[in-house]
Amino acid sequence: MTSSIFMHPATMFIIGALLLPLAKKFKVQKIWLVLIPLVAFIQIQYLPESFGKVEWLGFELQFGRVDKLTMVFLHVFTLMALIGSIFGLHVKESGQHIAAWLYVAGSLGTTLAGDYLTVFIFWELMAFASVFLIWYRKRKKSIDAGYRYLLVHTFGGLILLGGIFLRYQNVGDLTFELISVDNATLADYLIMIGFMLNAAVPPIHAWLPDAYPEATVTGAVFMCAFTTKTAVYVLARGFAGFQVLAIMGAIMTLYGVAYAVIENDARRILAYHIVSQVGYMVCAVGIGTEMAINGASAHAYAHILYKALLFMGIGSVLEMTGRSKLSELGGLYKYMPYTMIFTVIGGIAISGFPLTSGFISKSMIIAAAGNNHQLIIMGMLLLAAVGTFLSVGIKLPYYVFFGPKDSGLTPKEAPWNMQVAMGMAAFMCFFLGFYPDYLYDMLPYAVSYHPYTSYHLAETFHILGFTGLGFYLMVKYLKPHDVSNLDLDWFYRRGADWFMWVARKPVSATNEWVSNIYQSVGLRLTMALARAVSWFDWEGIDWALDGSARGVVKGGEQVRQFQTGKLQHYIGAAVALLFIVLIVVVLV
Amino acid sequence: MIVNFLTYLRERPGLLKWSFLAYLAFALVFDFFADRHHAHFWGDHLVGFWAVFGLVGCLAMIVLCKGLSHVWLERDKDHYDK
Repeated sequence: MTSSIFMHPATMFIIGALLLPLAKKFKVQKIWLVLIPLVAFIQIQYLPESFGKVEWLGFELQFGRVDKLTMVFLHVFTLMALIGSIFGLHVKESGQHIAAWLYVAGSLGTTLAGDYLTVFIFWELMAFASVFLIWYRKRKKSIDAGYRYLLVHTFGGLILLGGIFLRYQNVGDLTFELISVDNATLADYLIMIGFMLNAAVPPIHAWLPDAYPEATVTGAVFMCAFTTKTAVYVLARGFAGFQVLAIMGAIMTLYGVAYAVIENDARRILAYHIVSQVGYMVCAVGIGTEMAINGASAHAYAHILYKALLFMGIGSVLEMTGRSKLSELGGLYKYMPYTMIFTVIGGIAISGFPLTSGFISKSMIIAAAGNNHQLIIMGMLLLAAVGTFLSVGIKLPYYVFFGPKDSGLTPKEAPWNMQVAMGMAAFMCFFLGFYPDYLYDMLPYAVSYHPYTSYHLAETFHILGFTGLGFYLMVKYLKPHDVSNLDLDWFYRRGADWFMWVARKPVSATNEWVSNIYQSVGLRLTMALARAVSWFDWEGIDWALDGSARGVVKGGEQVRQFQTGKLQHYIGAAVALLFIVLIVVVLV
Repeated sequence: MIVNFLTYLRERPGLLKWSFLAYLAFALVFDFFADRHHAHFWGDHLVGFWAVFGLVGCLAMIVLCKGLSHVWLERDKDHYDK
């Protein structure tokens, strides 16, 4: 019976997105926006273990492969799609919702995919759909950041595709299963690098803090949840136990948090902090024990909710005041008290306060590192926890909502739908903290870990309390300044400038010089020659061949009408075609 | 209501300070009674180890990151547009 009532969740979001303009026309856009994610959230429980197997050009594609690891991620992705859609209810532009849902569909499709080709298709859908969430902000900075985001992800996608091709050549099989460390070849490492780019592992992380702060308010809420966590899922699926990931992950946690300490823009702080948090998960995947994989999944679940909550809180402030820089904010608790409370809940959850979701998930990874006798990594993760509380737990809410000085802004409280969405996420932060078994029962392996031991509580009390003391002592030194900080995107941002300079100056000058000579000397000669050849072609050959050249010219004129030459038309047509193919393939 | 309460607290920094210090004292006392059976390494056996770790880590991080930012990383916000 089950087979008759389920639909691929990605198909559901794609169809939902395509029908959205229709829903808008009949003035039911808001209902539609809640309905589709809600149905998707409920019906993932009914997915069979394996479905959507298709033979395509000799490849065995599998659109649905469901096990416990898949389910944790599906559960939180669909829940997040619901919360994010509610948060964006007030947005009238259907385009933003469509982009967000196609992005969700890409993420769900990747999570469910059983082979590398399917992974790649949805992987690219994610990148192309999400860039619109940046472009819809419609400022020049966002357009630029969107192009950089797209270029970096295209680059990552090509590496991934290269890896997939090589792997096919080596083993002749594209099933997406765990790769053993001992047999990993160049192909597997290329695939891993492609995945790592989306997980924002330094040095290929700079796209994230570059793009996310430039996205729309609602777009950033979606983006912070899906790209990196889908990457964590595919890493956990394919590359668990690769020691290099454990080391890179531990470095990530500190790298991200270091920038979160010094940044000024609230959303950039949160974006850098994603790098740090995803570091925990990448590290856990690298450790690779059952407990570590459990920890990575649990942390992804908890992290998606509180990081989205923080992005919603700061997004609400940005929506109501038009500002997101700490140096321009302060004293807002009087005007946006609910937003303040929700943001603080996100802040304490991410810092791992007892009775919040961070406490029960982050500690699992740290304990897994400890049990595996990787003490240096454990120390790095704990130091990152210190930095987390410092930057996102205290600094961010302090300078936005309280602060040494009031900003003089008197914004209204955020709209009701934003508050509902924040309330849902905040509820989940506490719910998981009070009732960890809800999450633990979903995890891929049986859980024997108990977060609420007296020692773990004592450790947490100390780390949080004395980090607070550190902040108290140094608060003057932490005062935000209106500057930006260099990061590794310098290489391609400056690199692009140099490339353009070379193209503009030396190359262009040489080109001009050559064309001057050509114009004065060569052109007349060529024109004369061309006329002669043309006459011969038109009159001589075409006459011999029954006027076909005239026919081609006429036909070409007609084809020209279709080709508008506008890039967006081509991309639109290509994407539409892709969706039609996808829908047909998935539905049939 | 919340707003009034917070404003009340905000106008009394002394009260906040002392309750915070009381909390720190509580945390230290609590550590004497914690069960240390699942210790991962030597630091887990020391009372107050994580307090020192938290404080020193926090201060070091602020000094190091802010310092790096000041001497090296900091640029105008439209740095790349120039």
